[in-house]
Amino acid sequence: MIEALEKLHEEAVERLERCASEPELEQIRIDYLGRKGGKLTALMRGLRELPAGERPRAGQELNRRRAELEGLLDARLKGLRESTETLADGGPRLDVTLPGNRPERGRVHPLSRVTDEIIDVFTGMGFEIARGPDVEDDYHNFEALNIPRDHPARDMQDTFFVSDDHVLRTHTSPVQIRVMEQRRPPLQIIAPGAVYRHDDDATHSPVFHQVEGFMVDHDITFGDLKGVLTHFLEQIFQDEVRVRFRPSFFPFTEPSAEVDIGCILCRDDKDSGGCRVCRGSGWLEILGSGMIDPNVFDFVGYDTEAFSGFAFGMGVERIAMLKYGMDDIRMFFQNDVRFLRQFPP
Amino acid sequence: MKLTFNWLMELVEVPDPAAFGPDELAERLTHAGLEVEAVKPLSDDAGALIVEVADVRPHPNADRLSVCEIHDAGEPRRIVCGAPNVRTGMKTAFLRVGAVLPSGQAIERRPIRGVPSDGMLCSEKELGFSDDHRGIMELPGDAPAGTSLQEYLGLNDWMLEVSITPNRGDCLSVLGLAREIAALTGGRLRVPAVPDHLRNHPPAIPVSVEILDPVLCPRYSARLIHGLRPAPSPPWLRFRLEACGIRSINHIVDVTNYVMLETGQPLHAFDAQSIASQRIVVRTAGEANTLTTLDGSDRALHPDDLLICDGDTPAALAGVMGGAGSEVTEETESVLLESAHFDPLTIRRTAKRMGMHTEASHRFERGVDPDGTRYAMDRAVALWEQLGEAQVVPGFADAYPGERKPAEITLRYASVKRALGVELPHDRIHGIIESLGIEIKRSSDHDLVVSPPSYRFDLTREADIVEELARVHGYDNIPATLPAVRMGIQGDALLRWVRKTRSLLTAEGLNEVVTLPFCSAAMNRTFPGLWGEDGKPVRIANPLRQETDEMRLSLLPGLIENLHYHSERRSETSMIFELNKVFSLGSEGGYTERMNVAGLIRGHRPQRGLRAESRAFVFADMKGIVEDLLEGLGHANCRWRADAPTPILHPGGFAAVSAGGVPVGYVGEISPRVREDLDLPTFFLFELDFGAIVNYARPDFKVRPIPRFPSVERDLAIVVAEDFPSQTVIDWVRELDRALIERVDVFDEYTGAPISEGRKSLAYKVFYRSTERTLTDHEVNTVHEDLTRRLCAAFDATLR
Repeated sequence: MIEALEKLHEEAVERLERCASEPELEQIRIDYLGRKGGKLTALMRGLRELPAGERPRAGQELNRRRAELEGLLDARLKGLRESTETLADGGPRLDVTLPGNRPERGRVHPLSRVTDEIIDVFTGMGFEIARGPDVEDDYHNFEALNIPRDHPARDMQDTFFVSDDHVLRTHTSPVQIRVMEQRRPPLQIIAPGAVYRHDDDATHSPVFHQVEGFMVDHDITFGDLKGVLTHFLEQIFQDEVRVRFRPSFFPFTEPSAEVDIGCILCRDDKDSGGCRVCRGSGWLEILGSGMIDPNVFDFVGYDTEAFSGFAFGMGVERIAMLKYGMDDIRMFFQNDVRFLRQFPP
Repeated sequence: MKLTFNWLMELVEVPDPAAFGPDELAERLTHAGLEVEAVKPLSDDAGALIVEVADVRPHPNADRLSVCEIHDAGEPRRIVCGAPNVRTGMKTAFLRVGAVLPSGQAIERRPIRGVPSDGMLCSEKELGFSDDHRGIMELPGDAPAGTSLQEYLGLNDWMLEVSITPNRGDCLSVLGLAREIAALTGGRLRVPAVPDHLRNHPPAIPVSVEILDPVLCPRYSARLIHGLRPAPSPPWLRFRLEACGIRSINHIVDVTNYVMLETGQPLHAFDAQSIASQRIVVRTAGEANTLTTLDGSDRALHPDDLLICDGDTPAALAGVMGGAGSEVTEETESVLLESAHFDPLTIRRTAKRMGMHTEASHRFERGVDPDGTRYAMDRAVALWEQLGEAQVVPGFADAYPGERKPAEITLRYASVKRALGVELPHDRIHGIIESLGIEIKRSSDHDLVVSPPSYRFDLTREADIVEELARVHGYDNIPATLPAVRMGIQGDALLRWVRKTRSLLTAEGLNEVVTLPFCSAAMNRTFPGLWGEDGKPVRIANPLRQETDEMRLSLLPGLIENLHYHSERRSETSMIFELNKVFSLGSEGGYTERMNVAGLIRGHRPQRGLRAESRAFVFADMKGIVEDLLEGLGHANCRWRADAPTPILHPGGFAAVSAGGVPVGYVGEISPRVREDLDLPTFFLFELDFGAIVNYARPDFKVRPIPRFPSVERDLAIVVAEDFPSQTVIDWVRELDRALIERVDVFDEYTGAPISEGRKSLAYKVFYRSTERTLTDHEVNTVHEDLTRRLCAAFDATLR
């Protein structure tokens, strides 16, 4: 009995697999499960002729096989129907390589994208955002940053004047002064914004953007400056970027450090002497930084014995140009749609 | 500043000279804060040799050519030469057959007009040393024949260009950089010695020096030299100066420049005969004078300009440039050499006022070693003696009324750790300090008192000494750490709004632009923005271009420029916005800045997918974008009005919008008049006061439950006057506040037959709903009829 059942089942499964149409499938159902001539139904009927001892087990087995077969029949039917729908006779095939219907989206300006990335790295480290005016007074732009009138350090920044004592800010550093005038440490602040220099060529724009940052508390050290900026550069330039700190001079920091990253174009391949980005040096200036000069703390009335801090500033265009392999800063302000639309939505 | 590698290495002995080439030097200086921007070999060696011309004969076949005989390593050679200056016995430059000129031309053995030439005698230009092509090189009689010309001229050398930050005036000299190298490498400084006979001179010369203002001129030293007639400088001097970017003039001027580059002390040579009064007086200009400087310009003097006078007559602009009247000329026979120290600010102001920037003023502005005047002066005199028959008047003048006491600075060991985050061993600290020439006066367990040398006038505070320690110790050797951050106020509301705005507008298809805020007066007058009465533009005193000398009042000029740019490039559609600052000079004279957001759309709305139809933009497209923006920024209910149109907008396509009860800007089509003036296609625009929008935003709201019972809708079409705003009905119904009326939407506007002229039809859909039951038709009809009747009465409308 059980043997006959197994044989029947195998036979049915084999027919099912070969079956290619709905009528054929229906015939299989009738052949095995049909109320009158079904082979499985016949076996069910034969149950009562079995010895009483074998009946329960054989009954169980029969029911199980029956349920299984019904399940297989249903599944096969579903499968058949699906393939018939897709391959409807004579219907057009879908060209899946045609473009999808995309809503027309505008693009965020690359300077906004990069500024946002910079902001996100610093806010992630616990920095807050501060802002200041573009039309800045001489005191905040120069004096309080330890750049007295008639000091050669003023030559470092070509200035637009709007009056005798107001300029278009030459850097975002005055925001440092404005924040420190209002608040006491601990402070960890970044200040993004436009800055102005009397300069206009392929590598200089009269307006560009900086992100200034500073941190003041008890016991902030030059080591902390290195740590924070190294972390920042690793985040912004993703893969293992080499960072070097090099002594420099800014009137409002001491010690001051210029921060360079290993050239991301020639990757410091010494033989590529003529790399147009790093001019063969293998290094790119990316940030100015330093420990806030005690004179600056004097201007805002901080106790230089109690507090120390670092400050840094970076050019957003410079970072964006390196990230996107650009060599003309003016493209940012030309806003050619063929430029803007290269940035994904 | 520019200098040469060999010059620098003459002044410092490094521990391992073989391993210390120009690149290594550049690396060390750069890492110490003296950035080397360029390292270039002075000249490629073409292999020229020094030769003596043994014989010169005329060329048999050419009048202008000569046939010369020279000896090259004992071998006689015959050379054809066309130079006019070739003569027997002269020393000159010779290139063998096979050598290649810098121009790429190879020297071949070939007959010239029938006479074979076995090499070439060269001019400076041919060898790439200068532009001089008047003849073959004239070398001094003592030039060693048979040796390398390149080496003899000192051209086996490298030019270094070092960027000196304004605080390091002491490094604007070969000596200053040599000191740095010595400190960085543990090397030894080799200062060129001054001959003893000069050092033993008495402090007096026949010329007196009077300083009227010791603050402006703390020191003035001078010497008198007779028998000094201008002569060409020897090649080594000339080529070294030229490598440093200074033109060679004659050996008098060249030595003053050479010593200035070497020591950092600017020197000036007066023609001694021109100082008729024998009195040097240093004073400010006072009563306005003029002075003709040696560049030939007549300079109007400011009362504060510092002058060097011959008695009462101005002879030089102190620290900036000499006067034409006392200049060294061909007739000069004796020289008064000035080596002085001037106040940096005074020199800077004068130089700025006159628009002059000289090697001398550059150094004085940044500070010069006040104790270095005599050494520099003596070094120059020694060089003149070495070069010719200079007869130094034994004696010197040295007025030093402004002598400064050396600074004393206390350095606490704890401050080093506090600033750098790393503990430097005490002996390391002492070592660095002494290597920099800083004297340690006293020291204890926790601090030390130091005194910087006179040339390090930039070191006045403890922080300055800490910086020196960090610099010489090396920033690379200070470990990076991460500070503990104390929690503060996180998150920035404005930034969130800015990002939201960008994302809403780009989702509408607008590209963000960032334009320059400079604007012409005319554009500011046409587009005064949203300032109202306060709309006075901020003017720039020194604009890059005269035509854009104001700061923008509105973002529109920048957007319009972009539209111009693209329509010139045949771009049919523009959709752009900018979120940025606008500026005004407030009524009280203060400067005011605001954030605006503005945009424009022109052309056709781009459609999605294939074969989609594109449609020309209409007013409602622009309004819809702004509605979405305002709703996204927390203003669900804005008021739109067509009153008080601005002149830049089409009177028939204008709307002012209020949000949160305050006017925030406008939307509209550009006025045809403005558009024609600017030669632009038509477009729609908006400009909004971003600050006000954000300020009055009500971003929070409560969720209403989803209605349990269905609504019943009834349409209503009325005919009203053409200028009747459709919103009126909606507002009126809301005011009416009748039970069962849920809301009213407008869904159509129609003019034309059969509606009579001057009137239009408006179609509304009224939604009726109860929160308690499903309404019956009868109930709804009663309310709707009542509403219709009242509405017609209220607005003089007829049902359609």
